[in-house]
Amino acid sequence: MKKPILLITIFLLFNLFSSNAQDYKFGKVSEEELSEKYYPQDSSAVAAVLYREYKVRYEYSQSQGFKVVTDVHERIKIYKKDGFSYATITEHLYLSDTNGDRESLGGVKAYTYNLVDGKIEETKLKGSDTFTEEVSKNYKAEKFTLPNVKEGSVIEYLYSMDSPFAYNIDEIILQYDIPIKKEDVAIEVPEYFVFNPKIKGYLMVVPKTSRKPGKITFQNKSRTGGGMSSTVSTNYTSNSIDFITNVSEFNLSDVPALKEEKYVNNINNYRSSVNYELQYTHYPEQPIKSYSTTWEKVVETIYDSPNFGKQIESTRHFKDELPGIIANATSPTEKMNAIFFYVQQNMNWNNYYGKYTDQGLKDALKEKTGNIADINLLLVAMMKEAGLNAYPVLVSTRDNGVPLFPTREGFNYVIASVEIDNSIILLDATNKYAEPNLIPNRALNWYGRLIKEDKSSISIPLNANMQSQEAHMIQATMEANGNVSGLMRTIHSDYYAYNFRNSYNGISESDYLSKLENKHNSMEIDNYTIENKSDLGKSITEKFEFSLENQADVIGDKIYFSPTLFLTTKENPFKLEERNYPIDFGYPWTEKLIISVKIPEGYKIESTPEPLAASLPNDIGAFKYIISNNDKEIKIMVSTEMKTSVIGIQDYAALKEFYRILVEKETEKVVLSKM
Amino acid sequence: MRIITCLTVLFFSQFISSQKNIYQSLIIDNQLKENANAVVRLDDISVSINSINDMVITKERVVTVLNKLGNDYVNAREWYNDGVEIKNIQAIIYDQLGNEIYKKKQKDFNDVSAVGGGTLYSDSRIIYLAYTPTSYPYTIKFTSEIRTKNTGNVPNWYFLNGYLVSTEKSRYKINFATPDLKPVFKEKNFENMAITKAETDNSILYEGSNITAIKRESLSPSFQKIVPQIMARMVNFYYGGYSGEIKDWKDVGLWMHNNLIQGRDELFPETKSMVHSLVANTTDDLEKAKIIYKYVQDNTRYISVQVGIGGLQPIAAVDVDRVKYGDCKGLSNYTKALLKEVGVTSYYTHVESGNYKVSFETDFPDLGAGDHVILAVPYKDKLYWIDCTSQIHPFGFIGDFTDGRQVLLIKPEGGELVTTTAYVNEENSQKITGNYTLSDDNSITAAISIKTKGVQYDDHFPMQLKSKDDIIKDYKEIWGNINNLNIENFEFNNDRENVEFTETINVSAINYGSKSGERLLFVVNAFNKNNYVPDRYRNRLMPLEIQRGYLDEDEFVINLPAGYKIEALPEPIEIENEFGSYKANVEKTKDGNSLIYSRRLLIKEGEYPKEKYEEYRTFRKDISSNDNAKIVLIKN
Repeated sequence: MKKPILLITIFLLFNLFSSNAQDYKFGKVSEEELSEKYYPQDSSAVAAVLYREYKVRYEYSQSQGFKVVTDVHERIKIYKKDGFSYATITEHLYLSDTNGDRESLGGVKAYTYNLVDGKIEETKLKGSDTFTEEVSKNYKAEKFTLPNVKEGSVIEYLYSMDSPFAYNIDEIILQYDIPIKKEDVAIEVPEYFVFNPKIKGYLMVVPKTSRKPGKITFQNKSRTGGGMSSTVSTNYTSNSIDFITNVSEFNLSDVPALKEEKYVNNINNYRSSVNYELQYTHYPEQPIKSYSTTWEKVVETIYDSPNFGKQIESTRHFKDELPGIIANATSPTEKMNAIFFYVQQNMNWNNYYGKYTDQGLKDALKEKTGNIADINLLLVAMMKEAGLNAYPVLVSTRDNGVPLFPTREGFNYVIASVEIDNSIILLDATNKYAEPNLIPNRALNWYGRLIKEDKSSISIPLNANMQSQEAHMIQATMEANGNVSGLMRTIHSDYYAYNFRNSYNGISESDYLSKLENKHNSMEIDNYTIENKSDLGKSITEKFEFSLENQADVIGDKIYFSPTLFLTTKENPFKLEERNYPIDFGYPWTEKLIISVKIPEGYKIESTPEPLAASLPNDIGAFKYIISNNDKEIKIMVSTEMKTSVIGIQDYAALKEFYRILVEKETEKVVLSKM
Repeated sequence: MRIITCLTVLFFSQFISSQKNIYQSLIIDNQLKENANAVVRLDDISVSINSINDMVITKERVVTVLNKLGNDYVNAREWYNDGVEIKNIQAIIYDQLGNEIYKKKQKDFNDVSAVGGGTLYSDSRIIYLAYTPTSYPYTIKFTSEIRTKNTGNVPNWYFLNGYLVSTEKSRYKINFATPDLKPVFKEKNFENMAITKAETDNSILYEGSNITAIKRESLSPSFQKIVPQIMARMVNFYYGGYSGEIKDWKDVGLWMHNNLIQGRDELFPETKSMVHSLVANTTDDLEKAKIIYKYVQDNTRYISVQVGIGGLQPIAAVDVDRVKYGDCKGLSNYTKALLKEVGVTSYYTHVESGNYKVSFETDFPDLGAGDHVILAVPYKDKLYWIDCTSQIHPFGFIGDFTDGRQVLLIKPEGGELVTTTAYVNEENSQKITGNYTLSDDNSITAAISIKTKGVQYDDHFPMQLKSKDDIIKDYKEIWGNINNLNIENFEFNNDRENVEFTETINVSAINYGSKSGERLLFVVNAFNKNNYVPDRYRNRLMPLEIQRGYLDEDEFVINLPAGYKIEALPEPIEIENEFGSYKANVEKTKDGNSLIYSRRLLIKEGEYPKEKYEEYRTFRKDISSNDNAKIVLIKN
């Protein structure tokens, strides 16, 4: 099995204790900051955060218990017009519809500073220029944009957010799409809450930890049963409690901008951030209440949710139907196939992710729709009921990022698995064209967590391991004017078939054909047939006759053409000199071309390209070009393969060179001359 | 940066009636299913204009969705804001036999803010149904009733909902309490359509039936230009707190000026003295206008905040002055106020923006026309156009966003339709000159100069704002035909006065040509290969429309490697037809060591019948194949 992608490969060093004399007090914007024309460390930056202070702390009130307060202070320099968007600030705030708890934002103070004729001019944000948008039932957005912003401006703002959800600290982003010159991030948590910091991203950052005293004072000691924890106010009757506050600090300087690159799985996997997940709570004179910390704990917590484990056990809703579904199946594999087919065909995904069921299996079955968990847990439940060793597998989708550490929030998706003859088969019934062991691309991410009934779990790789294949076979005849006609057959297997079905099964054949014709420079296609278009598990075979103009250069009495014809790779997809993040193809793949070209009457073959073989380091990819000919015909076989879905940056230069050789070889010409 | 659609006039689209068996999907006419992802079984709107400030719109819409792509045509939604009250909204879903499977009430609909990209705040909201189909086909019936005081925009009506959807029955009914509340109508594209009209003293009813689906074709007129539709408007109306009477475009302008614009151009005293000092050194109005426009570009930015009077009224100039941002209305009004302060007249102008040109219709003066605002500065019998939402466009240059179309000038004495500057054919030019050297190791080095004007300027000049990395990425894409390309350096010169952008670039690449034994082949036209060939249609139905022409001229000196001699050169070529012309030629210099390549491509704007489409394709194919012409060198 392939090794996981190495996320942390570059270590950038930070001076943790900056001795910079710059004044970061609110309002102390300097003339130097205003007159700076570009960011010294990265001249391409459209804006840069000059200073950022982000502090998470706890406050106690007797009526509401603990709340989380986040104080934000940022000073941003705008260098270019494209950086104006950093002058608009939006915070989404959550409203709970179960108990009316809501996050709120206040204390906005914001200024824009400009240098006008050598003098600093400041413009204040007016209260009437902030907006609240009711985004949806559960979210509102607080928005403001700074006044009087132009190239060269420095903006600075403060605000504070209150959250009654004391068990939750939002992920703290440490790296932006623009550089950060200096940031001070502090998290201050009373000893009653123990969080585990999970640091991810490319940057090497380590928090500095310390302790300081805290105190809660009660105004009214007779009151019992407060909002957050009745235990605190009932067991203590004195006027105040002393406690320890644990402080973690990240003091970073010169954090580079995170820049998007092509063929990256999800750029946010590489963004530096820290996530605080609750490990346990320990109130005075109370036993420790534990929350997830290890994978085992995480799994247990998820499994214990009524929207997960219970759902798998509730088999009542399909008891009557199940025997009919597996009536003709005898072996475990046949049973699996029958149930998978049933769920896949009958259930319709409502486009919502989720590791927990939304409606529950009962309603989902009735309505024939559901979120990911509704459908895939139904699949697990039915397979278990049929006597198979079926288990759910927790997944983090590509856009959710890689779950490096054990967290509940790290998983946002669930698929099914079956163990047959000591091998594990993965199933996802939420796509109409998925197959056993062929799960949608969105779920092909890193490792999943397979959970058994006893809540024990194992980590299983989710990357596709079979090599998906596409093969094109062409028998062509070249005419003296450079036109080509012939027969073409294309076989799409595995993920190629899956992608083909997802892209084209919804559209009419004539629409598909015009797309295909136009893709190949206005090829004309006749007698098109397609096999196994909807027959899942089988390769799709397309066959057609084609004719195409101008496939050769006819110059003087010679004809020049690439023997790979219209399937020639003409451009190297990797154009940049350097790359920072791994290249992700999604799945391992092979593409094969088997082509024969009859040459026009009256011509002879003067030269053909030489055969060639090239490979990537450690044999992770290979290119073969085999050519032969007789008097009348040229035969060529080209294969390109990537044996792994992800290629690390250490191999980027090799991959670029590999494609350079490939393009050069495929564009090489056969020369024919008139006899 | 240019941001579209800053005028958000709320438009009501479509419905009431009821029929049995239209809820089942099995017996739809095959003609209606052809090329269709959905069939609109019934599209019924009934608009009741009860008084000048009371309009009730009821809709009934029954759509059979044939496949996944057809879900886009369900349209079970209503937009609303403070001026619109939703009285009732619901949907029923039927299986293919016509059995009811679900009923969705208002509480099952999602109610969310309808803030679009680039908008900081807007008070418009949308209420919509999110339904996951369990099988296809299915049928959905959507009904709604809304009430509004704003009779200033009576719903217009399309008899087709888009491409790839057909209409079985479409009914558009307007009831008016009294004859003076009868709207004015304009019918468009009714030719060869089964659309009937029935009138009574207080109602008018249009009915269309069996309108088959159409497919989108490239280089064809826009959907709006070809779809059968009805435009409607009230002569006497109420809108956003004001009543009005519109007989012609002059009235539209007058209403806007009096109610929305007038008196919103006050400025702070310090701003007044500031602008006077800005223009202190000139007495020429055009010079003053240029200075003011530059000031606005350097000091403001586009942020859209949509509140009040249906998104039509600009925020006051003092407010823009204070925060230095605004949307198209606010920034235009602010600039107009600054210009007025220094004695320069300018006109606030409504326009329909976008790359595809849409003109206001001379015979249909409409309050709701347009989605953008620009300014016109009159000077010596000429109008100079400026778009105040752009921080980068030169004075008087509006590019392909608002060019060459009929727009509404809003003057104190009323509205006036005029046409904005059009950029025609040769005016959109690109001239590439330079030289390249092919070495005996098959590598290439080149020095290139690109000069662009007109709409081609518009495409190129924003490059100067990008970061170096992005510029290099762009060039690597533009010249993707050259593998292993290395951008050595580049330099830009943006001549705002003459609206001309110059790029000077040095590049190199290894393995430019392709080797075949002793021979070396390379494409002569290395830096402006045009491989665009329009899509092929077995049966083209739409006319051919080329909205803007252009002229490309290329001239290169090509230095050949030592040790090779020329085996073959492309023949000179010259094509001329109604679509334009193409000319390419390679010849040896006198000393024989180098070649001179020259190329000229002119594409003309125009509208042609559908039969011409294939001819145009052939022309483009010829250009593409000649742009791929190769030189063959052979070793000495």
